[in-house]
Amino acid sequence: MNKGSGIPFAAARAAYRADADLAPLPELNDPDSLLNTFHPDHLRGSTIKLTVGANAGDNCQRELADLLQAEAFIDEADLAGTPVTDADVLIIGGGGAGCAAALAAAERGARVLLATKLRLGDSNTVMAEGGIQAAIEPDDTPQRHVQDTLRGGHHAADPALVAALVEDGPDVLRWLIRQGMQFDQTATGDLATRKAGGMSAPRIVHCRDYTGLEMMRVLREAVIQHRGIEVWEQSPAVELLSNERGQKCVGAVLGSLADKRLRMVRTRSVILATGGLGRLHLNSFPTSNHLGATGDGLVLAYRIGAKLRELDSFQYHPTGLVHPTHLSGKLVTEGVRAAGALLLNGAGQRFIDELLPRDVVCAAILREVREGRGIRSPRADKERYGVWLDTPRLERSAPGLLEREFPKLLARTRGAGLDPRLDPLLVHPTLHYQNGGVVIDVDGATTVPGLYAVGEVAGGIHGRNRIMGNALLEIIGFGRRAGIAAVAERDRGPKKVTLEHVNRMRRALTLASLPLTRKAPRILPAYATGGAWNH
Amino acid sequence: MTGTISLTINGIAVDAHAGMTLVEAAWHGGVPRVRGVGCLEGVCGSCRVLLRQGKEVNVALACQTFVAPGVEVVFLPAQSAPRHHYNLDDFSDGWDIQARFHGIFPEAARCRGCHGCVRSCPKGIDVEAGIALAAAGRFRDAGEMFFECVMCELCDGACPEQIAPAHVGLFCRRVTAHFHLRPPNLILRLEEMRQGRFGGESHE
Repeated sequence: MNKGSGIPFAAARAAYRADADLAPLPELNDPDSLLNTFHPDHLRGSTIKLTVGANAGDNCQRELADLLQAEAFIDEADLAGTPVTDADVLIIGGGGAGCAAALAAAERGARVLLATKLRLGDSNTVMAEGGIQAAIEPDDTPQRHVQDTLRGGHHAADPALVAALVEDGPDVLRWLIRQGMQFDQTATGDLATRKAGGMSAPRIVHCRDYTGLEMMRVLREAVIQHRGIEVWEQSPAVELLSNERGQKCVGAVLGSLADKRLRMVRTRSVILATGGLGRLHLNSFPTSNHLGATGDGLVLAYRIGAKLRELDSFQYHPTGLVHPTHLSGKLVTEGVRAAGALLLNGAGQRFIDELLPRDVVCAAILREVREGRGIRSPRADKERYGVWLDTPRLERSAPGLLEREFPKLLARTRGAGLDPRLDPLLVHPTLHYQNGGVVIDVDGATTVPGLYAVGEVAGGIHGRNRIMGNALLEIIGFGRRAGIAAVAERDRGPKKVTLEHVNRMRRALTLASLPLTRKAPRILPAYATGGAWNH
Repeated sequence: MTGTISLTINGIAVDAHAGMTLVEAAWHGGVPRVRGVGCLEGVCGSCRVLLRQGKEVNVALACQTFVAPGVEVVFLPAQSAPRHHYNLDDFSDGWDIQARFHGIFPEAARCRGCHGCVRSCPKGIDVEAGIALAAAGRFRDAGEMFFECVMCELCDGACPEQIAPAHVGLFCRRVTAHFHLRPPNLILRLEEMRQGRFGGESHE
């Protein structure tokens, strides 16, 4: 980026008019070259090849590779005298996927223990705004949903997983309604749908722009109320447990943010539902993610031997807020663009079809900024750039729409004295989603017996780019699948619990001359620890 | 972004910059044991704080509240587990729902109108009016009043009758969907899939 280039905020704001004439959209001739030149996944030096573990030889984002090829926090000596709890199913993570898995397992009579790093429901789920995809409109079909998902993911997804995702769609909505979740309806009582980026038909079902909050508060309550589910909050997983050969997952070691003590949980199956890794701030990007999104599940799964995939592919959501500062990186839902809001560069002109897949729109914004057509943030102490999300023009063409359909956007900006109905929003791509993750089958089973992975920590469903609304569908659909499959494990449970897989990884790191000083999982970003999580 | 603002967080003196939120100030000041931080955009309800300025005491969400000179900030622990228990699947139909509600939440009819819940709500919800609607059996309207509720449960802590208003609001929203949301387009598609119209496995 040319330091100091771009149009100053005040000048761009003064020149902005909600009724200005717009030149026709320039044609996008070669989206692949746009991606290759500007998308952060393709930044020079941002990936390296892994040298140890199940993905040795594969490309991996550099900062993530440092965590995957790291030493554990604990060894066998730490387990002496550690209290042990037994459960049928252990779920690690208290977001939407973890809660769906817990409810599905408990509905089948399992004794479920759900451990979560922060508070139950603290997750990326609760922040999701746009909605959930399901092919329910008369002119839509499951096949089209499959095609859109595969195409949006650049045909890198596992077609069997996509078919399972799509097939679950309508029943997931029924299950959520049964749990007590509300959705927006049309005047005739149908579920209202929106069409978003990369979609061939309207398919996004939503609850204004609070879809994730509505989903999470309902699931959280359902979990709390369920007698078969015990919840441990403030209990991050620091390591998994394996059998004496290090080849089956038989539990986990949990830490505590409250008293720092370790606890062991012995179980027949573990479901990882730890979410994503935005708080690693890959390539120094801001993030839309929750504080706990530090990629812990990937680290734990990799150390015990699970195969991962697409470790070099991340979603940078096109419209993260630059200003106001305290919401830096936070999302403006794609729903706003789906409703008709345009993107304008510092010259006040459109530069990309706003409803192309997210990776393409992201790359186009980064191109505008890098080529000096971005808008420089009003903050003097930080060099930040963005483009306009033209919400005032949308308000002019559809008065009242923003207030009616996007109350969360208005509520958040109100605190900073900003009104999207009058002020265009300064936005820039923000690290939003981990496209890949742990390799799973249609039951959420990983390549390690006894270990399941669901939600953002799992990979294969979204290929190399996720389209809007498939994340909320995935967490419920695959959460339930894994919960059901985990209960069906007929194994009588572990005789012996060990850290043999930790020893195996340590030997591999030593042989590869990698340092043993780096430890993972991260648990919390360094700037937020302040003594809350110090080893 | 000029000027230093002095305040205390969990009893520790912090010099923050103007425009910082209380969470940013706590991190900036290295305040230990700040555990209740989650989404950083005001929707997870975790970062509950007590604010004391002179004799005035208030509650808020730390990620949405900006630093002010001299304010004493105390991060609050999470609300203890709810005391009201129910399972939606136990309700056979909606006809006895008002009696069920008063069985589960007997305190809701005893609201004294003290406004503690209203004053404590960081989302500006008229909690008291919502509780009155719920007690009158108007669950849809009551639930709609709680639409922006983030389950911080500050109102639960403020209620002298222990009504647990946040959970009453959520109950109202849940029964409304559970009993009344029957969208024709979804039902038709489920039936088509059950019949195997799209070539997949049929559902039961």
